[in-house]
Amino acid sequence: MRILRYIGRRFLFIGPQLFGIILVSFLLVKLIPGDPAVMMLGPFATEQQIAMLNAEMGLEGTIIDQFWIYLQNLVQGDLGTSWQTTKPVFDDLAIRFPATLELVTLSLLLALLIGIPLGVAAAYFKRSIVKKFSDYYGLLAGSLPDFWLGLILIYLFYTIMQVAPAPLGRIDFAVLPPAPVTNFLIIDSLIAGNWQALWSTLGHLVLPVVTLAVINAGPILKMTQATMERMLESDLIRYAEMCGLPKSVVIRKAFRNSLPSVVTIVSVLYGFLIGGAVLVEIVFSWGGAGQYAVQGVLNADINPVLGFVLFSAILSLIIYLLVDLIYFAIDPRIRG
Amino acid sequence: MAAVETTVAPQAGAPGMTMLDIAGLNVSYPVYEEEPVRAVRDLDLSVRSGEIVGLVGESGSGKTTLARAVMGLLTQPGRIDTGSIQFDGKDMRALSENQLRAIRGRDIAMVIPNPRSELDPLIPVGKQIAAVARAHLDIGRAEADAMALDMLKAVHIPDPTRRFRAFPHELSGGMAQRVVMAISLVCSPKFVISDDATSGLDVTVQAQVLDLLRTLVREHDTSMLFITRDVGITAHFCDRVAVIYRGEIVEFAETADFFENPQHPYSVMLLAAFAHNPALRNKWHKPLASTEAEAGRACLYAPRCVHREDECDERHPDLRELGGARHLVRCHFPVERVA
Amino acid sequence: MSAVLTVEGLVKHFPIAGSRSVVQAVNGVSFSVAKGETLSLVGESGSGKTTVGRCVLGLIKSTDGAIGFHGKPIDRRRNIRSSELRGRLQLVFQEPAESLDPQVRIGNTIAEPLRSMGVSRPDQRQRVREVARRVGLRDSTLEQFPAELSAGQQQRVGIARAIVTDPELIVLDEPTSALDPTARAEIIDLLIRLQQELETAYLFISHDLSTVRYLSHRVAVMYLGMIVELGTAKELFSHPRHPYSVGLLSSVLLPNPKLKRESAVDLAGEIPSPIDLPTGCYLAGRCPFADDQCRSEMPPEDTVAEGHTVNCFKHRDALRGHEALDYFDDFQVEAEKLLGAGRR
Repeated sequence: MRILRYIGRRFLFIGPQLFGIILVSFLLVKLIPGDPAVMMLGPFATEQQIAMLNAEMGLEGTIIDQFWIYLQNLVQGDLGTSWQTTKPVFDDLAIRFPATLELVTLSLLLALLIGIPLGVAAAYFKRSIVKKFSDYYGLLAGSLPDFWLGLILIYLFYTIMQVAPAPLGRIDFAVLPPAPVTNFLIIDSLIAGNWQALWSTLGHLVLPVVTLAVINAGPILKMTQATMERMLESDLIRYAEMCGLPKSVVIRKAFRNSLPSVVTIVSVLYGFLIGGAVLVEIVFSWGGAGQYAVQGVLNADINPVLGFVLFSAILSLIIYLLVDLIYFAIDPRIRG
Repeated sequence: MAAVETTVAPQAGAPGMTMLDIAGLNVSYPVYEEEPVRAVRDLDLSVRSGEIVGLVGESGSGKTTLARAVMGLLTQPGRIDTGSIQFDGKDMRALSENQLRAIRGRDIAMVIPNPRSELDPLIPVGKQIAAVARAHLDIGRAEADAMALDMLKAVHIPDPTRRFRAFPHELSGGMAQRVVMAISLVCSPKFVISDDATSGLDVTVQAQVLDLLRTLVREHDTSMLFITRDVGITAHFCDRVAVIYRGEIVEFAETADFFENPQHPYSVMLLAAFAHNPALRNKWHKPLASTEAEAGRACLYAPRCVHREDECDERHPDLRELGGARHLVRCHFPVERVA
Repeated sequence: MSAVLTVEGLVKHFPIAGSRSVVQAVNGVSFSVAKGETLSLVGESGSGKTTVGRCVLGLIKSTDGAIGFHGKPIDRRRNIRSSELRGRLQLVFQEPAESLDPQVRIGNTIAEPLRSMGVSRPDQRQRVREVARRVGLRDSTLEQFPAELSAGQQQRVGIARAIVTDPELIVLDEPTSALDPTARAEIIDLLIRLQQELETAYLFISHDLSTVRYLSHRVAVMYLGMIVELGTAKELFSHPRHPYSVGLLSSVLLPNPKLKRESAVDLAGEIPSPIDLPTGCYLAGRCPFADDQCRSEMPPEDTVAEGHTVNCFKHRDALRGHEALDYFDDFQVEAEKLLGAGRR
């Protein structure tokens, strides 16, 4: 089986790829100005105290020495400690990464539900209202900042209409969260059978998910529309029309052949949103991974930053693998 | 030369009735802030039932536009200005999009030149044949698959059961062309349009494909419009030959008559292109200046014609019958031959 | 006549990525081209004729065999791009539109080969104008862009660019197959006239047999990377010996319904994949004359007439199977009658 060989080869490269990513991000993070020991100990620390703390954190010697220490810890599953939360970075990310993933995944699913039908319709009905609407939508989604849209939605649905929960995290304070298993609140609520928690979680997800979906449906719509338009003009569809195939079959054929570019744009958006959703996370006090990393950058807390980069890198590699598998499933030419 | 005595008027039901009748067809492509490009001009063409008519023209002569106009599938922004297209007694221009869709692939089928880019790369070829059958005939999935398999056998594809599941990229050009023929013929259409369908094939494969196509068309008593830029094919493949130049039919005759007695200087030039004697060829061939003035009232061929006379610049010639036989030519001074 | 180009036992195999098998594109090809001569390579797609052309120019490295230009070898280091041979070998492509840079004026396109040879600007300009006139382009055309020209004129530009350096050998890779018949005839005339004037040797690669008959002095018929028959154009077209040549020639449809092709040799099926070639004669699977010997042994080269060789055990059967008739010649006779008559 060609596909198994392909996946095997893919896994062979994951190690070196991750090493490269860690090395580069380590060097880049080192360029962030500010000395964490100084930040942690405050303005009245002595030279000696600072040196001791640096040694404790593995931050003495040359940059290569420091990298070596970091790698050794990493192999043992130790991503270091965040001095801000005073907790191991791994434990922090184990909570925060699922928070972001839950948000981003649902947002992209909704964005697909908005973008694809609109894109397909806009491409097929060239002189319709749908086409006009899609054009304006694409423009608007491209120019609106997501955090601003989030604030507007909060103002409308929380402040004025009071139908949405307060934008303060993933679940009501008053609701007992389910026992953490995966740290995806929806999944954990389902496992625990905690319907109250599930309801609250879903309620809190609505506004941020809508915010991100509305914005990110823009590029999906545009990509779908552009590829579909090209496809509808192609020899392939022209021939399908000549054969008198029903309209629905023709559209489905065009869409199936456009699918690879749609998959590509979704995978790019997914990778981007892991860090790119940070402003929306802040607006909704989401406590997600992006927010955590930005706090780290601002406070010279390098372990959270490196941990975030590492998690994102692994996630990206998984996404690319999935994308390739989807291509395999769609296109017999790749299957060979 | 008096072999042709069939009547011109369509007779419903009779053998030799007119299957496709195009009259006074004008198709143009609007150009922004300029005169529209006239791709097909005052075109009359008829194809009788069971007949293969060849339509010969160089690139840009409007032959593909004509085919697409018949199918009701002109590319944007092309449009039919005037004229009528009667197919099997139906006025094609009066039909709705859904009615046309029911005719395409069912009654009029198209054979196209680049099967590799026109077949769906994601679907096995057998399924593509079956899809067309299911779209037009009231049959189930299993029956459509069986028909598709029969068609693969009919177009002589070796190992049809295995090829049924093959994807287009796994087939050679000749095989893919046979699949396209299978798609065209699966609904036993009354009429087939072949648009330069064999131009991409090697000569040996082209010969095989043409033989097969003719056999199948004759078996089903299908009519055919065979569009090509290779006048050589029409000599061996068609019952009648029409020559199109800049959107106009300039000559239309029985095949034997056409090749023995070509009347339009352009037809003669097309044939002369195969002659090896340059002196002889240049007697009929005038290299064209890069910019050709829009002809106005004149004969469209006048700028390239070796026999141009004053009248050619003043009056546009009509398509007229010559010498009793049904040999139509659009020229004031048709070629007279010294016996 | 001294040979401009000699090819001896040329072999070219392309490895397939991620696989141990190879595409056996060319499997031992030998021929020579003399000064002022046209040798045509004909065959179906997949016969390896284009690969031979690219090896001859040194654009790709041959797997085995020797290519000599005036007796000196051509290889990856000493090729069409090297300073020593620059301008002495040229190439004309199939698709004129694709081989011309759409953003470069015609005059500059034609001058391009001169620029790398260190010819001064005024000399370049003069030479370009001279060559343009020679191929029938107007001076004003030199200021235009490729998109403003017809396909036939674009191919004239391609030819002008090739002859601007006064080359000794031009490889013409299907130069007429993208053109309409009338434009094609013009280009053929031009190529013949240029050859007479400049004594250039042509290696003409084509599947258009009518053009080949007209243009060539000698013809090599290729099948699956081998020359199966080689002879003068007249001899080979009137007395084809190899079943493949017979089948190929009889497949051509000339514009005269009376010249019906005979089905003496019906080549069944299609050219097999050059990845796993059959043992014995490569044509055996398609050939009506094939017997056990053909299927097990590779037929050796057999000289049937002066300069006419054929690789086939059964070439006598093939010759017996059809009448020695040059349809192409017959057609010309008919054409003379048809075109010679008429007004004026």
